[in-house]
Amino acid sequence: MPPNDDLDTRLRAAHESGDRSILIGLYCEAAEMSSDAEATGFYLTHAYVFALESGDPRAADLKKQLVSMGRDVTR
Amino acid sequence: MSTDLSSVTRPIEQANGLPNAHYIDETVFKEECDAVLFANWAGLAVAADVPEPGDAKPLTFLGLPLLLIRDKDDAVRVFQNTCRHRGMVLVSEPRKIEGAIRCPYHSWCYSTKGKLVATPHVGGPGQNAHPDIDRDTLGLIEIRSHIWRDVVFINVSGTAAPFEEVHAELIARWSEFEKPLYHGGADSKFELKVDTNFKLAVENYCESYHLPWIHPGLNSYSRLEDHYNIAAPGKYSGQGTLVYRQFEGANGKTFPDFDGLSSQWDEGAEYITVYPNVLLGAQRDHAFAIVLEPKSVNQTVEHIHLYYASPEIDADMRVKNTGLWKEVFEEDIFVVEGMQKGRMGPGFDGGRFSPAMDGPTHCYHAWVAEQIGRYRQAGAHAAE
Repeated sequence: MPPNDDLDTRLRAAHESGDRSILIGLYCEAAEMSSDAEATGFYLTHAYVFALESGDPRAADLKKQLVSMGRDVTR
Repeated sequence: MSTDLSSVTRPIEQANGLPNAHYIDETVFKEECDAVLFANWAGLAVAADVPEPGDAKPLTFLGLPLLLIRDKDDAVRVFQNTCRHRGMVLVSEPRKIEGAIRCPYHSWCYSTKGKLVATPHVGGPGQNAHPDIDRDTLGLIEIRSHIWRDVVFINVSGTAAPFEEVHAELIARWSEFEKPLYHGGADSKFELKVDTNFKLAVENYCESYHLPWIHPGLNSYSRLEDHYNIAAPGKYSGQGTLVYRQFEGANGKTFPDFDGLSSQWDEGAEYITVYPNVLLGAQRDHAFAIVLEPKSVNQTVEHIHLYYASPEIDADMRVKNTGLWKEVFEEDIFVVEGMQKGRMGPGFDGGRFSPAMDGPTHCYHAWVAEQIGRYRQAGAHAAE
């Protein structure tokens, strides 16, 4: 569950429209607002996957973050 | 069901064609899928189907879910369109892959080169790696492929000799045509759905015997006696003409020629089958490729593509030329469908060939019989 209702609503709308650029931003926002590491990793993972899929330049930094958190490997 | 093919491989004077079962029996069709279509270099599509890096097109070939894709470095590849996780089909409609191929189920991601690049939550929520999931061994399964004259050939079994080796003689025969081919685009391709076994489309294409009867319009400038048989046993077959007449648009305008052709091709043209299922035409000013897609034992889709020597071709002329070829190929439909229907007659013994006129067709039958014989022999050895 995203950290607040407003973000949840915006995420649902972005999923509905399939706008991956917005999804990346919203999942990053969710990660920043999360207080526990597991939730942060979860949201960053979603941001990373949508960035990877869409060839978004944010993918590289998101991957670095996940690796530095021990949540992904470099390969 | 195992058919007797001994009469097929006899010299043409004594040979019969392939038995009826090779056109109407589901079990024999399955055997041919393995022995003929999967064990050799079969035509799947054309590279022009995926013109730009990232373009991906899902295809089903004899039940196999495949993905034709042009990777980020411009190489055309064929993968099984199946996620290595739960076997989900990855791409369900033609589209551009902007970054990675994401499985719509659990979002495992693959590069356009087939490498597994992301496994979200595979080690638990927010944990994207697991020591037992080695991404390097879980890339997409690539199907061996080779492109010649823009046709994407695949060898599903992975056991055929390299394409350039198998077809060295044909490649050498047409070496003068090893020039860039430019697909004419959307107006230069069409499909014909025909109720026939794919081999009958090959057989009809290989020979010129039928031309004056089925294509009387061609007869005025392309008479039977101006054609010759092409038959390279065990390799390829087809027909050639000595009186190819260039297409002419308004005011006698013609298409540009392929560069550097010798005088042989001024009025010469050849039409050859790359066994088992690709029909090619080579002419001074344009070329075509027909990929026969066997849909079932008695259904085939003919995918026809026209190519030119230049990317800049007058659109009206291109459209008119496509229309002319469509007319010619449509004239063949009742023949290939009629031969299919005729093979429901149990007394038909595969037919007798004209020793003078049917050499290319017999050449194809004998090749198919050889493939099946080899396959049966391998199966018998494996069972010992």
